[in-house]
Amino acid sequence: MSFPGKRNANDDLQREVEHHLHQLAAGYERQGYSKAESLLLAKREFGGTEQFKEQTRDEWRFAWLTGLKQDIVFGLRMMRKTPMITVAAILSLALGIGANTGIAALMDMILWRSLPVPNAKQLALVHWEGRGFPRDLADAGAGSMRPGDSEGAPAVADFFSYPAYEAFQKAVADHASIAAYRNGNQVSLSYQGQPSVAILRPVSGNFFATLQVRPQLGRLLLESDDQPAAEPSVVLTSRFWSKALGADPGVLGRTITIDQTPFTIAGVLEPSFYGLYPGDHAEIYVTVRRLAPLEQQRGERDLLKDNRFWGTQLIARLSPRTTLTQLRPMMETTFRSTWSRQPADESRAPRLRLDDGARGLGSLRREFRNPLYVLGGLVGLLLVIACVNIANLLLVRAVARRKEVAMRLSLGCSRARLMRQFLTESALMAVLGGAVSILFAYATANLLGQYVADYGTIALEVGIDYRILSIAGALTVATLVLFGIFPAWQASSSSNAAFLKEGAGSIGNVRRRWNTGRALVVAQVAMSVILVTAGVIFSRNLLSIQASDPGFERRNMVLFDVRPGTSGYSQDRLVEFYRNLEERIASTPGVTAAAIAGMRPMNVGGWWEQVQVSGSTERFQASLNGVTPSYLPLYAGPMVAGRNVSWNDINSEAKVAVISEDLARRLGGAGVLGQRLSYAGGPPGSKPPQYEIVGIAPAVAATSLKQRPYAVWFPLGKGFSQATILARTAQSPNAVLPSIRQTVAGIDRNLPLVDVVTMEEQIAKTLQRERMFATLSGGFAALALTLSVVGLYGVIAYSTSRRKNEIGVRLALGAMPGQVLRMVLREGLTLATLGIVLGAPLVLFGAKYVEKELWQAKALEPAPILLTLGILLASAFLAVMLPALRAAGLKPADTLRQE
Amino acid sequence: MQGSSKKTDLLQGTLDLLILKCLANEPLHGYGIAQRLLVTSREILQVQQGSLYPALHRLERKGLLKAEWKESGNGPMAKVYSLTAAGRKHLQQEMDEWRRYAGAVAMVLES
Repeated sequence: MSFPGKRNANDDLQREVEHHLHQLAAGYERQGYSKAESLLLAKREFGGTEQFKEQTRDEWRFAWLTGLKQDIVFGLRMMRKTPMITVAAILSLALGIGANTGIAALMDMILWRSLPVPNAKQLALVHWEGRGFPRDLADAGAGSMRPGDSEGAPAVADFFSYPAYEAFQKAVADHASIAAYRNGNQVSLSYQGQPSVAILRPVSGNFFATLQVRPQLGRLLLESDDQPAAEPSVVLTSRFWSKALGADPGVLGRTITIDQTPFTIAGVLEPSFYGLYPGDHAEIYVTVRRLAPLEQQRGERDLLKDNRFWGTQLIARLSPRTTLTQLRPMMETTFRSTWSRQPADESRAPRLRLDDGARGLGSLRREFRNPLYVLGGLVGLLLVIACVNIANLLLVRAVARRKEVAMRLSLGCSRARLMRQFLTESALMAVLGGAVSILFAYATANLLGQYVADYGTIALEVGIDYRILSIAGALTVATLVLFGIFPAWQASSSSNAAFLKEGAGSIGNVRRRWNTGRALVVAQVAMSVILVTAGVIFSRNLLSIQASDPGFERRNMVLFDVRPGTSGYSQDRLVEFYRNLEERIASTPGVTAAAIAGMRPMNVGGWWEQVQVSGSTERFQASLNGVTPSYLPLYAGPMVAGRNVSWNDINSEAKVAVISEDLARRLGGAGVLGQRLSYAGGPPGSKPPQYEIVGIAPAVAATSLKQRPYAVWFPLGKGFSQATILARTAQSPNAVLPSIRQTVAGIDRNLPLVDVVTMEEQIAKTLQRERMFATLSGGFAALALTLSVVGLYGVIAYSTSRRKNEIGVRLALGAMPGQVLRMVLREGLTLATLGIVLGAPLVLFGAKYVEKELWQAKALEPAPILLTLGILLASAFLAVMLPALRAAGLKPADTLRQE
Repeated sequence: MQGSSKKTDLLQGTLDLLILKCLANEPLHGYGIAQRLLVTSREILQVQQGSLYPALHRLERKGLLKAEWKESGNGPMAKVYSLTAAGRKHLQQEMDEWRRYAGAVAMVLES
């Protein structure tokens, strides 16, 4: 780097000063002094040449820039002198800044960012709140419902009947535009002869116009697409278009077959539109009106006309002059007018509510707010620990450089200039760390994004953009303030020339200064206590869930779905197909047993209902499933009482049920056999079907290792257009899988196997969040511990090296090496213990946030606390052992001779 | 600098004014300015000659002075400073200011 004219200016100044001196000297010579004397006198009269030159240079326009260049060059030279320390410091900064940036980027994406549409502030989510599902007004619902809590908060749900949607649209047309959408479903696709699967989201024709999204290619869905006469059209997300169709611009107008029905590709969405929430996995959009008739053909309820089927979700865009408070009462009135009857109990009736929709749908936000804050807090602490470590390092280095500082101060360097020098060195480190941190930020965000995804379907992708860069930049400045300013101030304040004289022997105020270092180490240990505790708690949480007994053998089992209902099998042929499939798979070499269930087990969600037994009004939340006779023996084991379901039951559509042992116990034991069980639902107006309880099966984990709901199993009915096949294998499932695939292909070549996983993988999927916490907090804990051990070691090693003399005297006067060892150990462990004691209240404070993420919600138990203490003390012991041994091994004669 | 009780250190900030005044009649180089100061103040005002240079460069950066390299008499090349128009105006303002100030101080002292 060179600045314009600088060299010239320097030469000029040199010549100017020389001229002056020359003239002065000439004057003295004329007075009769010798040449040498004249020059000396001239110099004396002029004053300190170099000092004045320096002051003159400070008056130049780019003086500060030149100074900066000097500082940077000098700083780089200092960093090169201790390459290991520099690399370690930069890496720990990069890791700290990167991890924080990554989490902040994810928080921004999930918690704070608005939908990528114009004027997102005008969007509102239409909800209703009440005391649970209004059974008197609706028979079925599809959407999401957040249950109320015991403190009186109502349940909030987002689904309405389609007739209600149409009524809303008409009633508030002057104040808001209302669009409908439904939850996405996985469908079978065929495009140019290639079968695949994708997520299809039905929306109203005005959906894209309401959101004000633009097409990247072709056109989006329009209100005219709602008309029965319109050509059935779909719109693709940009992501699906590029990943599945190779970003081929020729797709427009081509046919894509969805569940056996042909649709025309009308357009592709703009790339910035990720859906209704970050990580929305919808890939293809179709209008509700075009899809509903197809669903009806498959035996589903008539969504469009049925006001007792609440399966449509709504998003509204308010006109600029309308507010939520104005709109709500209008919609409330309309809502009530669409009910099939008036509610039996007005206090339990649903009430309409409008919520801010600028950031899109909120379930991901609600689910990940606490986890992200917890992780953000932990990773923030980690960064502070890293900064403290570097601050400590700089303090040590400042002490090592005190002779240089004293020299510069006595030569006329100003204190501000010195402080600038030290700050520049810190800033260099911070900037390098910040630059490397971008890599870590990207890795962290995308690793976390995978955990956040809907149980492994599509990962949330976080790209490097200006947001990430600006977060990283802000954090870099913050770290610089944290670790740089104090050491710089300390270093430049050592203004006494005493340092020039000081050798390793004198004690003076150096020890007092080192109290700062000690305080920093205590703070470090205190923060590590939190991180180590969190690591231990979350790891233990994951291990204890994994170790819990699901009630079946999880090894050597494979699961996959088939979707015959959307591959051309009519309802009547389904049962026959399933029976054939099960028999053929069971007789495949390497398979010891096979079974079929309508709902995939260990999949968290599924089919949940409130069940009750005749003669009682008590309702129980239960997980339901339709199964073949071989399912329960394979999954749950031998029956506890009564009988299993049979193929006879399935073929005759018998209304029988098997319940889990824990539900049977709750209902009064074996006497429950023969009683009738029912759950609400079924066609409008009909009485809920009654199922005879014919058997009791062992209680097993049906949906996940964490929850153990009551379970009810029915014979696999013909309503299951898709089903999950379970196969128990004799050896590793992956070895048997090829023959299983062959078997399925032997039955139907065009039937894809969907979501093929082993049972262990299936269980692992349900534990993603626990694994995320365990992995990350464990990693943070290890890093924090390493940094603190290094910090503690540094402080103790430094302090013993300062006390060499004193220790030498002690040894010379008869102290035993063991006593010296104990003395140093005591010093180190006192610091560690102080840190632990100070950290403990912080742990108590953090426990309540952590508990929300735990399975058996107890954060603080004796075992993990003892383990944490053990880890911390053992690490502290390791850190101080080496300096202690070195001190104990000192030879008094050597240390005294050094003076 | 032989210490003499009759010699006075400069008041802070007056050096700039003195330099401008020295250059009011003719362009001078640094040594010339120092000599002029000594002569016109009858050797009472004591300026460490090196301290002229930071001041000269500051005034040059502010645009009150301009400088060029010229042959000085028969000697070597020297950097010769002269007032710019802005410098001349500034000098006038500063002189008025100084007179008011000095007059006021004198009035108080002699009252």
